[in-house]
Amino acid sequence: MKDLFFFDSHCRIGSNCMGHSPVPDIPTLFEEMDRFGVDRALIRHIGIDKGALWTNREVSAFLREDPAHRLTGVWCILPSQCDELPEPDVFFALMKEARVGAITLSPFGHNYIPCRLTLGRILDAATERKIPVLLDAFAGKWQELYHFLEEFPRLRCIYLEGSGRWGTDRYLRPLLENYPEFHFSTGGYWVPEGICDLAERYGANRILFGSGLPRFLPGSGMLQLKQSGLDPQSLAMIAGKNLSRLLEEAQL
Amino acid sequence: MTNSIWGKDHSIAQAYWRTGYADFPIYDLHGHVGAHYAIYMKRCEPDTMACHLRRAGVKHLVFSHHEALFGNMRNEQVYQLCRSQPDLLRMYVAINPHYPERIREDLAKFDAWAPFAVGFKFLADYHNERVDSKAYEPVLKFANERKLPILNHTWGGSCCSNSTILLAVAQKYPGAKFFMGHSFFGDWDGAVKVVRETPGNVWLELTAIPGESGIIERLVQGVGSTRLLFGTDLPWFDEFQAIGGVLSAKIDEEDMRNIFYRNAEQIFGENW
Repeated sequence: MKDLFFFDSHCRIGSNCMGHSPVPDIPTLFEEMDRFGVDRALIRHIGIDKGALWTNREVSAFLREDPAHRLTGVWCILPSQCDELPEPDVFFALMKEARVGAITLSPFGHNYIPCRLTLGRILDAATERKIPVLLDAFAGKWQELYHFLEEFPRLRCIYLEGSGRWGTDRYLRPLLENYPEFHFSTGGYWVPEGICDLAERYGANRILFGSGLPRFLPGSGMLQLKQSGLDPQSLAMIAGKNLSRLLEEAQL
Repeated sequence: MTNSIWGKDHSIAQAYWRTGYADFPIYDLHGHVGAHYAIYMKRCEPDTMACHLRRAGVKHLVFSHHEALFGNMRNEQVYQLCRSQPDLLRMYVAINPHYPERIREDLAKFDAWAPFAVGFKFLADYHNERVDSKAYEPVLKFANERKLPILNHTWGGSCCSNSTILLAVAQKYPGAKFFMGHSFFGDWDGAVKVVRETPGNVWLELTAIPGESGIIERLVQGVGSTRLLFGTDLPWFDEFQAIGGVLSAKIDEEDMRNIFYRNAEQIFGENW
């Protein structure tokens, strides 16, 4: 029955100031992953918008509870000028040590402008090292995302939908067309057979399976992908191989 | 995967995982046809939608046409469209409360549109007219007398079709069958209350809910799976996404069967 390797690119864990989330800890996360047959997950903290530093620490702690290395972590960055995080080289070395493979940002929660002035130093380094940058903070903020990508056109990035649902092709397709390193995670993208359409037009290598856990259950997106009409090779890439490749290519 | 929901032998989930369909028909009771101003829809015409529906084992999609809801297409044209996929498509007569003369004409033609026309569609929030306004009365009375369904777009906190308004309307017209599209999304307590305080003429329709953690379980617990109907808003949302969302809920397979087809057959029969 094990016919596909799934690596979830859109998965949040932990609790925040609003109370317990449905996936507050590692045992609960593994239970959900096993219930649906999700092999691996790229995890970020559910409370990122309420703080980068403490959520980075908690992600590291979560990863220490995963001896089988099913999980890879995401850390949140901040503007370079305030000295809250170490210089990029040191920061990336710490990421590697903690098994953190990607970074994210939360400019609208953390009160700064996401641009070259604030993030140029670390994101230029991330670009050179091909470190994936999750753009979950830009979910639904298309004008801001378009400006951001104009500033960092070569950034290896993954756009994640928020609550999603409504088809976003009019926003999404110009980005896929113009930025070769722009990737798209499927969580919340419910367009009928839309994943297949995007893969045929822009390449299956640009699309990553994402569940949207804990808000969304993995099973809905998994079945949507499995029955999307994609050829087996493209299906396997989107289900898990693309994310594995992106993380392997990152030079931490 | 072996220990996952997809790996459980002879389960509905396993059937969908392996083949894309199960041993029963699905009735999608919330669909549309036609382009929509707000998003790009590649597959929004009957022929392209039919391929997707048949792959997922959908026996009937009951739809209202976007252009009849948002533009000037008349329901007579929608009826003609149904004839291109006569085994698959059934229609809700789209009601725009701002055109009473069209409503009169459509009610007069309703019987002639059999077997395709099976009920009505109200989109009160978008038309900015409360469901309890005078404008809807002719349709409500018609549906009440003939025990016909009305699919209402509902949403928590809406101005024109919230749970308070619909509760009163469903109580006032006990013969009409009220399908509450989106189940008053977000106002889950209100949704449960509407079902519990009406005389068996309300069903909660699930469009936009499957896949959301814990909501289907909450509704099953609140009103029972016999009061839930499957829908997707196709061509907005993928059939398999919605099916996968129902299969992901922590409910038993009898509940799933009720949602996918038994409740619809209870309402419409097996051949309609």
